[in-house]
Amino acid sequence: MGVVALTVVAVTAIVSLSITARAPSLKVATTSSLYDTGLWEYLEPRFEERYGVKLDILCVSTGIALEYGKRGDVDVIVIHDKAREEQFIAEGYGVDRIPFAYNYFLIVGPPDDPAGIKGLGPEEAFKKLMEEGLGNPREIKFVSRGDESGTHAKEKAIWEAADFDYETIRKAGDWYAEGGRGMGPTLLMASEMNAYTLTDMGTFLAYKGKLDLVPLVGEGRILLNVYSVIAVNPEKHPHTRIEMANNLIDFLTSSETQKLIGAYGVGDYGMPLFMPCAGAEPEQ
Amino acid sequence: MALIELVGVSHRYGSREVLREVDLSIGKGEVFALIGPTGAGKTTLLRIIDLLEVPSTGEIHFDGKRVPESGKQRLEIRRRISFVHQKPQVFNLSVYDNVACGLRWRGEEKDRIAEKVDHILKIVGLEGYSDRNARTLSGGEVQRVALARSLVLEPEVLLLDEPTANLDPVSSAKIEQVISYVAEQRKTTMIMATHDMSQGRQLADRIGVLLDGKLVQIGNANDIFYSPQNEEVANLVGVENILEGLITTNTDGIVTVKVGPDRIGIQAVSNHPVGKEVYACIRPEDITLAPIFHLSSARNSFQGKVTRVTTLGPLSRVEVDCGFRLVALVTKISAEELNLQEGKEVCATFKATAVHIMERKTS
Amino acid sequence: MSEIWEGLIKAVYLIVSLDPEVLEIAGRSLRISGTACLLASLVCLPLGALIHFHQFPVKRVLINVIQALFSLPSVIIGLFIFVLFSRAGPLGELGILFTPTAMIIGQMVLITPILLGLTISALSGVAKEIVDTATSLGASGFQITLLVLGEARYAVVAAVIMAFGRAISEVGCALMVGGNFKGFTRVMTTAISLETSKGELELSLALGIILLFLALIVNIALHRLQQR
Repeated sequence: MGVVALTVVAVTAIVSLSITARAPSLKVATTSSLYDTGLWEYLEPRFEERYGVKLDILCVSTGIALEYGKRGDVDVIVIHDKAREEQFIAEGYGVDRIPFAYNYFLIVGPPDDPAGIKGLGPEEAFKKLMEEGLGNPREIKFVSRGDESGTHAKEKAIWEAADFDYETIRKAGDWYAEGGRGMGPTLLMASEMNAYTLTDMGTFLAYKGKLDLVPLVGEGRILLNVYSVIAVNPEKHPHTRIEMANNLIDFLTSSETQKLIGAYGVGDYGMPLFMPCAGAEPEQ
Repeated sequence: MALIELVGVSHRYGSREVLREVDLSIGKGEVFALIGPTGAGKTTLLRIIDLLEVPSTGEIHFDGKRVPESGKQRLEIRRRISFVHQKPQVFNLSVYDNVACGLRWRGEEKDRIAEKVDHILKIVGLEGYSDRNARTLSGGEVQRVALARSLVLEPEVLLLDEPTANLDPVSSAKIEQVISYVAEQRKTTMIMATHDMSQGRQLADRIGVLLDGKLVQIGNANDIFYSPQNEEVANLVGVENILEGLITTNTDGIVTVKVGPDRIGIQAVSNHPVGKEVYACIRPEDITLAPIFHLSSARNSFQGKVTRVTTLGPLSRVEVDCGFRLVALVTKISAEELNLQEGKEVCATFKATAVHIMERKTS
Repeated sequence: MSEIWEGLIKAVYLIVSLDPEVLEIAGRSLRISGTACLLASLVCLPLGALIHFHQFPVKRVLINVIQALFSLPSVIIGLFIFVLFSRAGPLGELGILFTPTAMIIGQMVLITPILLGLTISALSGVAKEIVDTATSLGASGFQITLLVLGEARYAVVAAVIMAFGRAISEVGCALMVGGNFKGFTRVMTTAISLETSKGELELSLALGIILLFLALIVNIALHRLQQR
């Protein structure tokens, strides 16, 4: 009887070890706004085949992606918040910031546009939403990411540019809701609630068929959304796979991949979800 | 040399003293019965002998060596003793597995186990019960499984706590049969706790009387039942006639004791001096009843009136008022022949040798 | 409402067609939760017996704490394990984060209070005389523990079933310490979470139904154990 027990334990240990032991992969923390569009799933097999290494992709919000990078739990981070990226590198956690794709943020909302923001600039639109929302919280609503993501950071930036203190907005009233979820779920939520929200173009197009929302504001410098790739600094975390990370950077900025990125989504959505910008900050 | 020796064993549970200064010596191959009322401490004493508990004070010696209070040696000694508990718990397994448990725990070989288990099941009369779940058995069958479980280990010492309590007569008889067999054939040393006096009398070589935690008297059946040491023991062992009296004459060891309110004299055999306050004890079965004034060789013959008759199975218990109260035990048939009923005049007779004189302590 | 019906249809389809990805994550769910349950049982069942049969001063308090931990949220455990095994943490060198091993550890921690608490509770149904009987028949401490657990086997297996259910249905810990990597640390619950956030409701429902189906099968198997 004791023999049986021992065998079971041994088998279990072996099995559990075998499901752990596997060739080291390249770990990438990326934002949900990029992941939900399906771009990663599209590019992943190409990278894996080309370099013979498995990509492990953690789909999280920008805030926690930065945290993973600081802790050395991942080898690469791919996010879209310039300010925090630069701080990350300044603090020595990252090697360099390489933009590789961009699109624009949009303010989307219900087709009948009860707050009347269509065609306005982003800062004016937000101002109008605040006024109308305070006056009519049952019909005018805004859903925020509320999760320290790149999109959330952009939203905060727009509020500031419109001369509002973000904390005031948060407490402003029932019309402003903080979802705390990824971009996709936030869009679905906004659609259910007939609310306005700030979204990146890529995710919006990818989810369009499931939403009752339309783009209302799409012009404005502040709406530029740049995705960058940053390798985690091997000086801070020696175990990270810096050569393979650099391979990923080369891959994303290679002309071949850049072309693929620029063409991604045209077939399904009639227009590309991203625009390539190989390593340089895009012009407006 | 004694196989088991208890020296000055006392035990308490919390503030309650359960055993007081027990000294006991059990010889190899002896059958010892421990009798006493419920709550006297019989179970506790057995538990201590089985090394399930360490006594609060005192020592236990086994085979001449002192038993340590813990450790491997204690476990080894415990394995030579087997205990059948009062309401034995059988495990939720088949009868076979229940009986085989102990052997398996001792690492016995599978074939040997099968041999021994089958043999013992035959002895206790549970052949064919091997595959039945032990929890589905009747009280008598459970007791036999428990017995088998212990016997199969061929213990040097077998402890039994009320082995036939709450069993029907047929099951009781079977158990007693097994106990006798084991005592005779295997010469196992046995200590049996019981409150059934006649069982103790029948099966044991020696009897110990445990009252209120104290081992009050040890002796063979005759000593206990016919010469109880004091009133409590006498009451316990079924001496129903305990008469307060005073010795008035003593001639060559034959005394006259005046008993009862009318100071009636009864004859007894004793060495106590004249003037001594005593108890005269007579066992009910030693009293014969007859129609008025049947002469007999007995010295003590008294006329009296029947005050009460109770039927106890095949026997009748008859209370008679002869100026002092006597309880007699006769067969039911005799009772019917004599037409014993309330109010009937009878003659109660008993021999002087049947009267046991006990000192009476008047404080 | 139609989503539920369509989810059901999709579930049947996925099962019947033996969809490879579903098979893979279902297998992983079973392996991870099964291993966690087995290893935790090997520790907690004897430990529970030990706690039950011994008296010691803080026993009552300990049992209360164990029962309070029944409500420990899986995401808290996930956070704790993450901090422990992160590269920046004390055990980071082991490189266990984002692997099935971390998930097994996390689930083991999650179900330990349940296994301990319910084992102790199961054993309280076993008469003390059983221990005495076994002792007087010469059983060692280890042998007594096995016997007693066997006597309470119905309730003990129920505890194991409950623990397994808790493990296989949790998502907070699996997400945090596993990373939900496709083909490596993705399990049924994390897959459901992902598909739901993508808006794929029918697929999520289908996966949920399959998970229940799996749990049912494991339950039936463990039930056979109870009957013996």
